[in-house]
Amino acid sequence: MLVKWLHESLVLVKTNFSEKGGYMMKTRRLFAGVVFVLLFFASTLWAAGPEATGPIKIGLIGNMSAPFSLSSKAAAMLAVDEINSTGGILGRKVELIVEDSKGEIPKCVEIYKKLVMNDKVAAVFIAEKVEMGVAGMEIGAELFKEYPHVFFSTIGSGDDIWHRVRDNYEKYRFGFQTYYHVSTNYLKIVSLDNSEIFKNIMKAKKVAIIYEDMEWTKPLRKGLPGVSVSLAGVYKENGLDVVNETTVSLDQKMFNPTFETIAKAGAEAIDCVIGYIDEPAFIKQWAQSSARNIPLNIWGGLAGMPQAWKMTEGKVNGVSVGSSLVRVSITPKTIPFMDTLIAKYKVGPIFGSHTTYDSIFGFKKAVEKAGGTGDINALIKQLEQVEEVAVLGSIGWHPKYHYNLPSPKYVTPIVQWQKGEMQVIYPPKYKTADYQPPAVLRK
Amino acid sequence: MSVSIQGSANPMSDLLLQIVIYTLIWGSIYLLISLGFSLICGVLRIFHLGYGVIFVLAAYLTWTFMEDAGLGLVPSIILMILVQCAFALIVFYKGVFQRYLEEEEILLTVSLLVFLVIVHLANYLFPVTAGVSIPSTIIDDIVTIGGITIAWQMIIAALVGVVVTAIYVVALTRTRIGLVIRAISQNLPAALLMGANVNRMYYLAMILSVIPPTICMIMIAPFWGIDPFMGMPLLMTAMLVSILGGLGNLKGSIVASYLIGFIHASVSFVFVPRFMGFAALIVTLIVMIYRRGGIFAGETLW
Repeated sequence: MLVKWLHESLVLVKTNFSEKGGYMMKTRRLFAGVVFVLLFFASTLWAAGPEATGPIKIGLIGNMSAPFSLSSKAAAMLAVDEINSTGGILGRKVELIVEDSKGEIPKCVEIYKKLVMNDKVAAVFIAEKVEMGVAGMEIGAELFKEYPHVFFSTIGSGDDIWHRVRDNYEKYRFGFQTYYHVSTNYLKIVSLDNSEIFKNIMKAKKVAIIYEDMEWTKPLRKGLPGVSVSLAGVYKENGLDVVNETTVSLDQKMFNPTFETIAKAGAEAIDCVIGYIDEPAFIKQWAQSSARNIPLNIWGGLAGMPQAWKMTEGKVNGVSVGSSLVRVSITPKTIPFMDTLIAKYKVGPIFGSHTTYDSIFGFKKAVEKAGGTGDINALIKQLEQVEEVAVLGSIGWHPKYHYNLPSPKYVTPIVQWQKGEMQVIYPPKYKTADYQPPAVLRK
Repeated sequence: MSVSIQGSANPMSDLLLQIVIYTLIWGSIYLLISLGFSLICGVLRIFHLGYGVIFVLAAYLTWTFMEDAGLGLVPSIILMILVQCAFALIVFYKGVFQRYLEEEEILLTVSLLVFLVIVHLANYLFPVTAGVSIPSTIIDDIVTIGGITIAWQMIIAALVGVVVTAIYVVALTRTRIGLVIRAISQNLPAALLMGANVNRMYYLAMILSVIPPTICMIMIAPFWGIDPFMGMPLLMTAMLVSILGGLGNLKGSIVASYLIGFIHASVSFVFVPRFMGFAALIVTLIVMIYRRGGIFAGETLW
């Protein structure tokens, strides 16, 4: 198109000299054309990724009206403050640019381009649901060759990010996923932990499974070909009897029939593969159903937040849930991180804040080992090898697939709500209390 | 304090009993959700897309008065109802309905916008980390009837739904004011000619439309999730009931509430709970195809 335009301009110049009176106007047009071409080439030469000197710029994208993004923003600010107060990275200050996607994918893409092309960031962190991470990763892949950078998805769970790296490493090798679990780990690690909790801690043999109707639960419902059987299959292999499997939808408000059916099936524990449904309603209705004395184990979501007690008027009593928000010292960084976040930024740590904070420190260590941000391949190589003490264990990424190193490297404790307090019941290393049946806790 | 009333051990009887009980309970709750919407449709002939805001205000105003002003539950509820009425009259009636009565598209759009503004304001002021809840549990226990377990709070909410509806029906059919409101709903020009104070009746209808969803929110809070976006599914339920029953017809709303309750209960217990919403939509669609205007189609409130 540019060539065509230049050709047309030259034709116009030829014509100019033969046309009376049009000379000045055409000359101006030619001049403008030359300036445009020069600017175009200048901008192309300029667009060569992050600067190798000066501050290291990093960008954070989130939905700044959503609590998890706000908490991630505070965590990123805290990480950058701490890094800068100890001399930055290789003597270079870190500059954080925060952008609001407003939860819209087109906006997220636009901001991603702005961060990479205009601000020349070395790394983009998307602290938002996985759809945003995928959108960012796609635009990042288009820009990567011209604007080398790395990308971290610090909230999006599931397999969409790391599968891209697995299936097309060359194109997506700049992308890293720092959310706790991916399907393989769910089936290979979490399900084994849960089996142990059901059998040895809750003393249950018959389990009912409730899945939420979302993409991330699909591999658990169906299994991963060549990797693992379904979650029910894993439980069966581990000596548990799955007496009922059901799916609930995101817009569902009435869960009584589900609990009544499970109670009739004789379940001794209910495993809830949920994180996005209306958990307060779900828990309230469990506590007022025939299943109220059957232990309820929830994989994640609101039930693992300190506010769950208030939101359910205490009906969450007895529920066990995977939560990174419990105040237990997993590493020397855990408690100071939680306290400083609240004291300095008036924001509580919720899901996404730990992973964002830890990803920035993982990035720092990788940059130091790579000797800067100038050689993107060296930086990616270091990110694939790095291991750094983090808030929830140690941060690092799988060398081939780029998801963060799972439990026991990076830990999500299983807590049980006991009379208003979250107590860690698993893993034993961090245990703060023994598990108690819901009926006992209600007394 | 769990109460147990023994029943049969026959699985089929249990299933039927379960469907009957949940039809009655859910139907009564849906009635409470949709009563105000039907009233507005019947009297003002407005499809009130801002109706969902009543649920949001009920929850968040009560919470604000309790948490920020330190008031008890009952004073907070009373104060919240007063603010709700003022909001309905000033913002919706004076600000939207009166101004755009002749421009239906604008009226619908602005009503919805007001709703969304309040929702987002609630989300901004009270994000999920605020832990909003309303401690309105009356009996925190369960009852077993013939092997079917129900939460007491659900039974109470259902009973309140029946009582509130009964009061509204009696008021609309047995009192002079009810007569005037019905006259307006049936034939506005004729009612005007007969000397009905339409403006005053509209004010009254606005206030009457606020009360059932407000009570509903208080009653269902112990088993319902409270979040800033909860108004939308509740508005959808109100719309579904009103459309199925016949817009603005209270008789239709009563029948439709229990019909949807029956569909939800049957699908939940016989098939799977997550299809209950879908099934109700299909039935409504079929009814609308064969009976245009809903079950009780007609330009009358009762």
